Amino acid sequence: MAPLSFPPEPARLYRFGGPALAALGVAAIALIVLPPAAAESPLAWWIVNSALTPERLLPLLGLGVALALTGPRIALAALLLFCIGIVFGFVAHKELLEPLTKMPQAATHHFLTGPIASIAVGLALIPPARWRAAVLPLLAFIAGCMLALAIVVTDPSLDDPTNRIAGVTIGLWVVVVVMLTLRAFHRPWFAVFSRILGSWLIAIGLLYGGVALMPRKAPPPPPPIPDLNPLPDFDRSRPQTLPQ
Amino acid sequence: MRDRGPANRAFFLSAVILVAFVAPQAAFAHILQGEQGGFGAGFAHPLTGPDHFLAMFAVGLWGAQMGGRSVWTLPVTFPLIMVLGGVAGMLGLPFVGVEIGIAVSILALGAAIAFGWHPVEWAALCLIAFFALCHGYAHGAELPLSTDPADYAIGFVLATGMIHIFGIGVGLALHKPMGGRLARGLGALIALGGIYFLGAAVLSA
Repeated sequence: MAPLSFPPEPARLYRFGGPALAALGVAAIALIVLPPAAAESPLAWWIVNSALTPERLLPLLGLGVALALTGPRIALAALLLFCIGIVFGFVAHKELLEPLTKMPQAATHHFLTGPIASIAVGLALIPPARWRAAVLPLLAFIAGCMLALAIVVTDPSLDDPTNRIAGVTIGLWVVVVVMLTLRAFHRPWFAVFSRILGSWLIAIGLLYGGVALMPRKAPPPPPPIPDLNPLPDFDRSRPQTLPQ
Repeated sequence: MRDRGPANRAFFLSAVILVAFVAPQAAFAHILQGEQGGFGAGFAHPLTGPDHFLAMFAVGLWGAQMGGRSVWTLPVTFPLIMVLGGVAGMLGLPFVGVEIGIAVSILALGAAIAFGWHPVEWAALCLIAFFALCHGYAHGAELPLSTDPADYAIGFVLATGMIHIFGIGVGLALHKPMGGRLARGLGALIALGGIYFLGAAVLSA
């Protein structure tokens, strides 16, 4: 067994950088969202109910997978464009949200930010490697924009930058952890898995978007409740049928 | 003598899982009524609905048995076409014999695996696409009834994809040992399940 060296060798750092970052992030999130810290700030509630919801996490996980399966230069460029997309989304959120507000029930589905991000990332995962390299930077930019918009529309504090910083940090953390981990532990079957994941994301985006735009059906009415009180109400009805 | 231990274990594990999923809950397939839940209900539905589980598992298993591009083209095509069926179900468009179509999908996919049928890729994709429409329609009709349709859809598609991957894994593990007869045996079990569901669907029609 090779002795541990300090500072760690670059190869070991590269291999275990992703899992180590994942562990650090999980510990940090646990510190924020678990008591007693959770009781002191609405940030904990927002992280659990917005930043860590499946709707928000799935596109980020998919983007991490897509970045892991492309060459380092394209991956870095796409990661950079993802960050630029986040900044652009924050700066131009009013202009970007304006066309989305015309959709029915826009506030209930966060202006379709989740479905759009899912479809964009899914489209990056399905094509062969060469095509993926061509479309990934643009689709990463779209995913970044959607992340920023989702943070803006779900932020309950309006002006407090803490939620925005937390949302962006969690988003970047998810993408980078998945990318580093899958790159370090790459297996040939990842190519098959990524395409299946891409099809899930597109299906989720289309179904979610379709359901969100669809008017809600009322559930079928419950069966009538049988009369459980066969006895007459003696207190409220006068015995008019009785002889005087 | 070749060591067939891992392949045999994979076969029996898969068979046990299939029976465990199918047997006790067969009567609950596709009879969701009234208000459904969110992510958890959507995620649990394909896992606890034995007809859906068997069909998804068979798609992965068949793709792995066919090999080549089919390993991923079949499981990728299924959810994408399922969305079309889902939208038709959400809109309430007429689709006659959905339950029979679902039962036939299990029977046909099981038989294709059992007989080692390897058609040209487009023919397999057309078959998968038709079955995906049936499954998608059934679930699309349920979606607007759930308390959180979006989370229900996310959980449902995620679980479906996981069953595909499980089927691919089992298919790849059983592809070579004993000349692929173990995979064919699983296909025969799936086809038997399909016969059961077909009988139930015809009787209830």
